Amino acid sequence: MKWGMVIDLAKCMRCHGCVAACRIEHFLPFSIAWVKLIAYEVEDKNVVDVTTYAVRCNQCKEAPCIDVCPTEATHRRDDGIVDINSDLCIGCRYCVIACPYQNRTFLSKDKLVNYFPNHAKTRFEKMREKKYPHQIGTTEKCNFCAERIDEGLPKGLKPGQDRAATPACVNTCQARALTFGDLDDPNSEVSKLIVERKATQLHADYGTDPSVYYVDGKIGGKSNIAPEDARTGSHIKEFSSVEKRAKEIFSQSK
Amino acid sequence: MGEQKVITTTCKSCHGGCGVRVTVEDDAIVHIEGNPDTLTRGTMCSKGLSSIQHIDNPYRLKYPIKQVGKKGEGKWERISWDEALDTIEEKIKTAQKEFGPESLAVSQGTGRGYNRYIHRFARSAGTANVISPGYVCHSPRLGLYGLVTGYGRLYCDYHGWGGEFPKTQIMWAKQLEISSADSEMCNWFIQSLDYCKNLIIIDPRATAYSTRASLWLQPRPGSDCALAMGMMNVIFNEELWDKEFVDDWTFGFDELKERCAPFTPEKTEEITWVPKEKIIEAARMFAIDTPGCIQVGSSLERQANCGHTLRAITNLMGLCGNIEAPGSMVSWVLPDTGLIEDFFLELPITDEMRSKIIGIDKYKMGAARTCNPDTMVKAILSGDAPIKVWLSVGGQQIVHMANTNEVVAAIEKVDFMVHVDLFMGPMAEAADIVLPAAHWLELNDVYDMHPRFMIEAHNKVIDPPGEAQSDAWIFNEIGKRIAPEHWFDSEEEMLDYQVRKGMDGKMKWKDFSERLVSGCWGDDQVYYKYKTDYWRKGGGFPTPTGKFEFYSKHLESLGYDPLPVFREPGESPYRTPELYKEYPLVTSSGCRYPFYFLAQYRNIPWLRSFMEYPITQINPVDAEKYGIEDGDWIWIESPRGRIRQRARVYPGMKEGVIMTTGNWFYPEEPAKGYHGVYISNPNVLTSNNHLDPMYGSPDLTCFLTKVYKCKPEELTEDVFNTDEFGFVSAAGSDVEIRKR
Repeated sequence: MKWGMVIDLAKCMRCHGCVAACRIEHFLPFSIAWVKLIAYEVEDKNVVDVTTYAVRCNQCKEAPCIDVCPTEATHRRDDGIVDINSDLCIGCRYCVIACPYQNRTFLSKDKLVNYFPNHAKTRFEKMREKKYPHQIGTTEKCNFCAERIDEGLPKGLKPGQDRAATPACVNTCQARALTFGDLDDPNSEVSKLIVERKATQLHADYGTDPSVYYVDGKIGGKSNIAPEDARTGSHIKEFSSVEKRAKEIFSQSK
Repeated sequence: MGEQKVITTTCKSCHGGCGVRVTVEDDAIVHIEGNPDTLTRGTMCSKGLSSIQHIDNPYRLKYPIKQVGKKGEGKWERISWDEALDTIEEKIKTAQKEFGPESLAVSQGTGRGYNRYIHRFARSAGTANVISPGYVCHSPRLGLYGLVTGYGRLYCDYHGWGGEFPKTQIMWAKQLEISSADSEMCNWFIQSLDYCKNLIIIDPRATAYSTRASLWLQPRPGSDCALAMGMMNVIFNEELWDKEFVDDWTFGFDELKERCAPFTPEKTEEITWVPKEKIIEAARMFAIDTPGCIQVGSSLERQANCGHTLRAITNLMGLCGNIEAPGSMVSWVLPDTGLIEDFFLELPITDEMRSKIIGIDKYKMGAARTCNPDTMVKAILSGDAPIKVWLSVGGQQIVHMANTNEVVAAIEKVDFMVHVDLFMGPMAEAADIVLPAAHWLELNDVYDMHPRFMIEAHNKVIDPPGEAQSDAWIFNEIGKRIAPEHWFDSEEEMLDYQVRKGMDGKMKWKDFSERLVSGCWGDDQVYYKYKTDYWRKGGGFPTPTGKFEFYSKHLESLGYDPLPVFREPGESPYRTPELYKEYPLVTSSGCRYPFYFLAQYRNIPWLRSFMEYPITQINPVDAEKYGIEDGDWIWIESPRGRIRQRARVYPGMKEGVIMTTGNWFYPEEPAKGYHGVYISNPNVLTSNNHLDPMYGSPDLTCFLTKVYKCKPEELTEDVFNTDEFGFVSAAGSDVEIRKR
């Protein structure tokens, strides 16, 4: 089992929902972002190219951050997720420098400012200590919402399919540009997308073999026939109620 | 671990509509995420999620306050609700007695679920002088769809309930994916793209979707009516119209054909600056690959020819038979709770009230149920307006109306103004009394979505700060004092009343709150209603002729042209060529950013961190011509004044056109100067002298300007205190625009 993510550049419309969902999920200090959006609007020769790369820790299969960590605080889990044990992290920041994607942040004291400087912490910020403490002097990054996966798997939930075991950013994406799943399973959505849409990795030339993939393409060219579940609105069917007057008229005309 | 509960509710961070699950622990919200068991399938955008920063936000209004200095001076004193409500009651009653009920004006921001309270309150108080932004957003479309089809609420069928999704989609002056207003529709639209053959984007600037669409047309802002007529011209010439629908169900075909005849592809290219090949291709796609739909944006309604533009576009839909077919434009069957507007429609506007509407003599469509705000501004300034008391809720008229200087001067002249809001802002600073409103996480209410096939429940999650109250409570309390016969003993009774038709007439608010939604969808929805008795016994549209009216007799009887007419904007390269020489850039303020909603959220740290300053997009050719580099602060100047924004040199912007960021004020700037409303807001530049004949809408998205670089010394005048909100320290999460 190796968790991976595929990001559809043709769908992402830069709403920043993933950034906000991540901040809530991990009670992130204001100056920390585990997901960042890098927006391109032009190519060199002034050719228009409006593309947004949502970047996060690539969970590289050949991760330089692991290699340089002197205390093994940064380690790879069996499921491929590159995780940080904050208790072992000594804050040397070798990993911050080693990561070629600049996806690690050192949490210094000055980054732990309140949402509203010169004002008291909000209740949500206060709950951070209890729910998801962040340790000053250590390094942080995206962990593919490992907590959700770890809680969901024993319950028989499937990450990427069941929300409770799926990363928060994937769940919240209105464009459904993010797909999560098992790279080892050739039948998973992520594996199929990688093959069918010829996915690419960021800077494959670095030799890090990221577990985050990107696909792109044109919009359109599809059949417009609705599948059965769209037709019936099955997942919300129980809430449907037609206005009385309309019901009478349509029952007569049918 | 404390006690945890999960509350399901509905987001209202834009117009709203996305289902939400909120986890509360020890009276603190610890988690917000989408509710998967709703039509939005558990997704939420950054605006909705950042609602968490409205809670315990130190800038929230907590108590009623009254102005103790001059308007705009920012001197306030806390008062009790009793004092506030007593004063409001006394002022309204005195004005009603001395100057008549029309002396009360009631205003609102964009539709946020309080529309029906505002209209009901105004009507119960005997005035129809409602100041609504409808005339620049949504009303023209509803009115024109209504004129042509008889039923105003025509929406794109993104759902597949009839077995087909739209094969050809047109996004016209609209980015539904980010337009920040219709999150629930954004969701459905993006999903429908998985079943789309052709996507046509009509937008003067490139977007992520335009660069991946089947076809992208870049028109000159303000020329859209001509573009629609040009497309119809192609359809007539190539005989591509839907013959069955046109023969059986339409009225005025020959007249429309004749009207569109001059709009040859060549002529249309000249007017719109769109290459004729693209016009022809778009027309063919839309006419041949049916079903199709057109999503229009409110940029078209912020133009002084909006009535005819919308009319032409509606005719284009009908000409191709894209009405009521699965995957086309559909008016939805209501849920069992009925039409939410009945809450105010049941109090009719009397002839007496109607005769006192400001602007009704001129703008017969736009000022039929609400006043024309621009006419009102002029009338207040000239001393002709009856307005003595202004009750304002949520909206920022100072920001969104044309010609900021005149709007401020007019508002400062109003004897007594009340404003209801979450935060201080330009309108609050101009008020005499400000009332604190509850956020959507802090109230119970009924959410009514645009297409009207469902209503949803806002369920209270957490207590509002201090003494803040819901809009429903505030209107009920004022209503009880002014017109008790039309208002309710309690807020809950009022909510019961609004959902009473549900569950065969047995539904109470509590039932609805638990059920969360009342809707009609899936195979319960019905298409081709004109072929049934739904609108008319024996079939037909609910229009005077029973047909889809290309030619409108009703408009004719009001003294308007019964067929679409293209008119140039008030200031344009062709209408005012002399002015164009001095102000050579066609300017729009129509674009939207996904993390702001109109004038809102510049004070929410997470959201402001995504875009700290307003941006003006300019083509590299124009930038070079005017000596502007990417990132420069630039002056944008019109005959009315000048503002500054930061330049983004962007080849995706049409040459000769610039796109400013609209609705911008700086919450961090002092009260004096209305929180920096003059610094960057494009409406400082817009004119309120040239209005749409039907709707009275000004040219907010098509006017002329010139641009030049700010001198370094000009930038030190005002220093933005964004550090106060922590914006600067969030730089790590800012969007980086990079060149490859």
